[in-house]
Order: sequence, then C-alpha cells, then structure tokens
Amino acid sequence: MTEQYFSGLRIELFLTMLILALLVGKVLAIKQNPIGTLTLISVFLISSIGISFMQNESGYLFGTMFRTNSTILFEKAILLAGTFIVFMLGFEWMKKQKHFLEFCMLLLSTLLGMCFMISSGNFLMFFLGLELATIPLAALASFDLDEKKSSEAGMKLILSSAFASAILLFGISFIYGTTGSVSFDTIASAIDGNNVQKFGFICILTGFAFKISAVPFHFWTADVYEGAPVAITSYLSVVSKGAAIFVLMPVLYHAFGRMSSTYIPALILLSTVTIITGNLFALRQKSMKRFLAFSTVTQAGYLLLGITGNNTEAGASVVYFMLIYIFSNLGAFTVVSILQNRTGRDDIGVYKGLYKTNPTLSMVLLLALFSLAGIPPAAGFFGKLFLLSSAAGAGYYVAVIIASVNMVVSLYYYLNIVKMMFVDEPEITIEKLKPAVTEQISLFICCCGILVIGFIPAIYEYIYNLSAAI
Amino acid sequence: MGSSIFYFLGFVSIFTALMVILSKSPINSVLYLVITFFSIAAQFVLLNAGFLAAVLVIVYAGAIMVLFLFVVMLLNLNKEYEPHKHIYIKFAGGIAGGILLVTLIGALHGSGEIADSTLNGEASYAASTGTIQNLGKSLFSDYLLPFEISSVLFLAAMVGAVFLGKKEKSSPKVSAEKI
Amino acid sequence: MMTKIIRTFVPDMGYASLILLMFCGLIFAVGAILVSRLVSPYKPGKVKSEPYECGIETEGPSWVQFNVGYYLFALIFLVFDVEVVFLFPWAVVLREMGITAFIEIIIFVSILFLGLVYAWRKGALKWV
Repeated sequence: MTEQYFSGLRIELFLTMLILALLVGKVLAIKQNPIGTLTLISVFLISSIGISFMQNESGYLFGTMFRTNSTILFEKAILLAGTFIVFMLGFEWMKKQKHFLEFCMLLLSTLLGMCFMISSGNFLMFFLGLELATIPLAALASFDLDEKKSSEAGMKLILSSAFASAILLFGISFIYGTTGSVSFDTIASAIDGNNVQKFGFICILTGFAFKISAVPFHFWTADVYEGAPVAITSYLSVVSKGAAIFVLMPVLYHAFGRMSSTYIPALILLSTVTIITGNLFALRQKSMKRFLAFSTVTQAGYLLLGITGNNTEAGASVVYFMLIYIFSNLGAFTVVSILQNRTGRDDIGVYKGLYKTNPTLSMVLLLALFSLAGIPPAAGFFGKLFLLSSAAGAGYYVAVIIASVNMVVSLYYYLNIVKMMFVDEPEITIEKLKPAVTEQISLFICCCGILVIGFIPAIYEYIYNLSAAI
Repeated sequence: MGSSIFYFLGFVSIFTALMVILSKSPINSVLYLVITFFSIAAQFVLLNAGFLAAVLVIVYAGAIMVLFLFVVMLLNLNKEYEPHKHIYIKFAGGIAGGILLVTLIGALHGSGEIADSTLNGEASYAASTGTIQNLGKSLFSDYLLPFEISSVLFLAAMVGAVFLGKKEKSSPKVSAEKI
Repeated sequence: MMTKIIRTFVPDMGYASLILLMFCGLIFAVGAILVSRLVSPYKPGKVKSEPYECGIETEGPSWVQFNVGYYLFALIFLVFDVEVVFLFPWAVVLREMGITAFIEIIIFVSILFLGLVYAWRKGALKWV
C-alpha cells in the first residue's frame, strides 16, 4: 500500500527532497560551492529521468487526485531534461549570483509544481500545481534586481498570471457549480455541454491560453522574455509552456471529452490567430530575445492545432513535438545566453557576421533555427509534420493550409538571421568566444537532440504506443 | 427568509465590490473590500460552513487586508503620479467588459433548470457538510496531497519574497524628515 | 459550572447569536460616536483637523512611502496565519484520525518551519 505511493510519487518525492536539502544547506550556511551544488542537482535530475522510465504502472493515488501512467512519466522526463539543460546553459550567469541556492531552489519548486500539475486528476490539484509553478517564477524573473527591466518582467509576470489564474478559477467554479465536482472523472460523466458549462470552459481555456501565450493573451510574453535573465526566459519558453500543454490534453480529452464540438472550433480559431499574429510580430523584432519570444508564440499555435486531432495521434504528435522543441529552442537560447553574457547585448546586430568569428556557435544556432522553422534535415520538420497531419487526419484542412502557408512565411525571418550570421559583415568585433564546460554540454545535448531524434523513427513509435494510454 | 437574506447579502457584496473599483482613494477601496469579504462570509454561514466563514474573516478581512494596506503605502500613490488612461483604452475596456457581461447573462439564462437537474441527484445537502469535523476528515484523507503541496507552495513563496525584499541592502529609508 | 449557568439563561440560538453579537457591536460603536457628537462642544479649528504627529506641526506630506521590510513581516505573518487555519481542523479530528494525521501535520509544519528559519537567517525578522 505505502509502496504504491512511494513509486507513484517517486519523481515528486525526489524533487521535494532536493529542494529541502538545498534550503537546509542554505540555512546551516554550509560553505557554498556552486559547482558542487550544480553537480548535486544534475545527479538528482538525471537519476530522476532514469527512474521515470522504470516500472511504468498507471492508476490513481489519493482518490482521483494524482494520476500516473507511462505517458505522464515520459512527459515528466521531458520536463526534467529541459530543466537540466536550462541549468547547464545558465550556470555561467547563475554562479555569479549571490543567491545561487535560492535560485536553484525556486527553479526546482516550479518544476515540482509542473510535475504535480501534469499528474493532476482533479482541478484542485491542477490549480495548486499551477500556482506552485507560477509564483516562484515571478520571483525568478525579477532575480536580476540591478536591472530595472528584470523587475518589470517579474511584476508583469505575476500580475498577468494572477489575472489568468482568477479567470481560470472563475471558469472552474462554473464547472463545479453545474457538475458538483472538481474531479476530472466525475466532470467527464456529469458534463452535458450546456451554456453555463460552455462559459466556464471558455474561461478555463483562457487561463491555459495565458500560460502558453496563445495570441489574444500573449501580451506579457515579449516583455517578460526580454527582461528576465536568459536562463529563466528559456525555462519559461520551453518547460513552463510544455507543462501547460501537457496538462491541457487530459483536461480536454478527459474532463471535457463530451464538449469536443465546443472546444475544437475554439482551439482552431485560437491556433490560427496565434500562428498568424506570432509570425507578423516576429518579422519586425530587433532584440533576439523578443524575436525568440514571438517565435515561441507561433510554435504554441502549431501545438494547439495538433491538439485538435484524434486523441492518440494528437497526444503522440504533441509530446513528440515538445521533445524536439526543447532541444531546438534551448539550443538557440544557449547561443543567445553565451553572446549576451560576453557582449552584454542581445540585439540582432550582434549576430551579423558571427560565422567569421565563431563558426561553432553559428552552426549550432543555424541548426536550432532550422529545427524551429521546420526545414527537413532538422528534427523540427518531423515534429511539425506530425502536428499538421494529426490535425489533417481529423479533417481540419483549412487550418492546416493556413498553418503551412505560415510555415513558409516563418522561413523568411528564421533564414534572415542565418543570412546575417553567414553573409553580412560584422557590425561589432567579437573575439572568438570560448563556451564554458557547462555551456558546451548544453550545446552538445541540443545538437544531438536536433539531429538524432528526426532520424530515429522508433522514438515516435515509442511515444505513440505510450500515448494510447493518455 | 433564507432567500431574502441571500439576496440582501448578494446585493451588498456586489455593490461593495463595485465600489472597490469605482472609489477614487485606494484606502476606500480596501475598506470596501473588507465589507465585501464580510458579506461573503455571511453567505458561507448561510451554507452552514461556519468555520470557512470564520477563516475568511480572519485571513482575508484580517491578514490579507493588512497586506493590501501595506501595498497601498508602499506604492506611494499620489495624485500627480497617477497615470491618465487614454479615453480609447477606457472605451475598449468598457466594450470588452460589456460583451463579457452579456455573454455571462446569456449563459446563465435558464440556468435554474440546469441547477435543478444536475444538483437534485445529490441535492440532499447534509447540514453536517460544512462542519469542522467533516472538513478536517476530508482534509487529512482525501485532500492530503493538495494540503502537503500547499506547504511547499508557502515555502517557495516565502523564500522568493524574503530574498527579493531583503536584497536591497542600501534601500533608502524614507522618513518624514527627509522629504 | 459557569457554562451551565449561562446555558440555563441563554438558550442555544445557533447563528442568531452571532447576528445578535454583531448587532450589539454595531450599536456600541455607533452609540459611542453619537454620544460624543451630542455631548461635546463644537469648536472646529485648523489645528484640530491636521494629522497628529507627536504634537509637533506636520512637515511635508503625511503620506510617505513605507519600507519594504514591514511588508515582509506581514507576509510571513500571513503564511503562519494560514497555517493556523489548517491546524484548527486538525486539532478537532486528531483523536479520531490518530497517528496518521499527526505525521501529516508534522511534515506540513516542519516544511513551513524551514521557511521561518530561512527568513530568520536572512535577517528578515529584524525590525527595520
């Protein structure tokens, strides 16, 4: 009996122990050694990824509070891997911070919140996980207190996410009022799609759209991404967004399964608007972080389109895309982080003629941008292909055509940066930068991920087989 | 009798909630919010949830209102600093809010039957549901996991707030003499 | 003994007693203001309507920005206020639920206690 709880909650227990250990270390004023701490965290994260693949039992714990199955464990492994890369890419910046331990502790607690969130079988659990994943992030976004922009980012993040949470709760209260329960199972059987429930559902979807920055609710994204430290920006754009997408799927398919005639048009509308607007704004950005922010907005649109497909296929394509997206986006962010740390700038001008001085970094960024744009050799192509084919399989051809046209448009701005790096003359002289060991690890993992995942079809099949149990 | 009290409290809570937004001085807003919380607490009493009503008064009307007052004091809101919103923004906000209200009314139209049909099955609302014993029992068995997560949430929020608040070692202590 | 006496004189009225109490409180507060309004002589002056500051004349605006340190106190207080809210139902059901509830609350309190120790170490509890 107790065993079952320990094995079901093993990743969460592991993370909690790590968080508490870090804080105890801080309180007891054990001599701080950033490299030692990083090693400890890395060992914990990698072994958590390892144990997430062991013994995949599925079922419920604590009534219907906590759900676990092999797909959820795989999603957690993706998030853990993303967090690991974020630690690697941000370490050079982190170790200079006076509050390094707090930084790690808060980052890991958001990860813990996300793990609980994607395992939730109940809106109460979901909401608590969401808050645990959001509140420390606001503190992290304003971590760089010397920078005014960083404080502004934290403030904007906490205000907009508090607003989104309020709307989400408002929606949940309508669902609770008409079905008499917050458990996904009970809602699934009691829901009948009347007007009140539709209104509640739209409120809940709005809360999600805030979190994944889908378009009418994306206003916070660019400012927060620009002001926050690069490590946090990359974490927000990949891990945080991934967790929200992962939990959106069971909420839609499971709890609101009977309301598919309501949610599919809403999702298609949201995704089309998101893709178009994200593209248009990405075209005219001068700052690299803002550019990547709008690029992630666009990617969220493709993810939403993928969700509209048939359950198993859509689930598999979304998880697969997230797996690739983590490596592509974090690869790009690693390069941005290295350049920003060394030159102190993040406008696009820095990248002009980068190939002449730093060929390796340029190649990595090229690979990452190819993957984000969906150009065939990189894995991103397969990710988008599966997302679109999932939507096409369900018969939403118009949306798929709009998305494909926008993929072509997006080539323009992704390739524009590639052109700047390889063709243009340098604007400022950058000496040959030598990435630190941690950054090299991050670059290496991302490149491997982008190159390898696309060429091994077994990975998609593995995810597809897992997703049968979504 | 019961329903007239309900309507009275509902009116009070909606009216004071509106006054929170409409009143000019932030201090007045906070005080109106206190009345809103009291009227909602009274609604809880009507639902036999006396403990929750007490908690609402203690935590929200007590502690959180103090925090709100602190925020008002921290922000140093003066008339000159107050940003003047453009008329178009007000207009757009009015239209958006109005549409939301119309949608809400449309959605709730005829919801009486919905409530009857969904809740009648388990409408036998036991008088003991809201008591503190039942609350405690379900909190420490069914809702155990959310309960423990909330402690980690408090911990993370506290750590974040403390290091953000304590960071500025050289924060200028503003006093009346300096101004 | 005392409760028995009270019980005999005051019947258990449920929530009506709460309303009665609030009503009495309201009368007490409003009455005090009314009586002072009626009894006191009315002599307004400029000095009287100024904010009180140790008897010295006020300098500058009376609305000054607070130090953020005060906010931290209030925030930490709030966390433990919420903790007490959880402790109350626990205390009620402890006998019934036995050792499990005890272990559960120990975990909860010790996690929060760690936060308090952290705030202490950081000097957040020092009066600014």
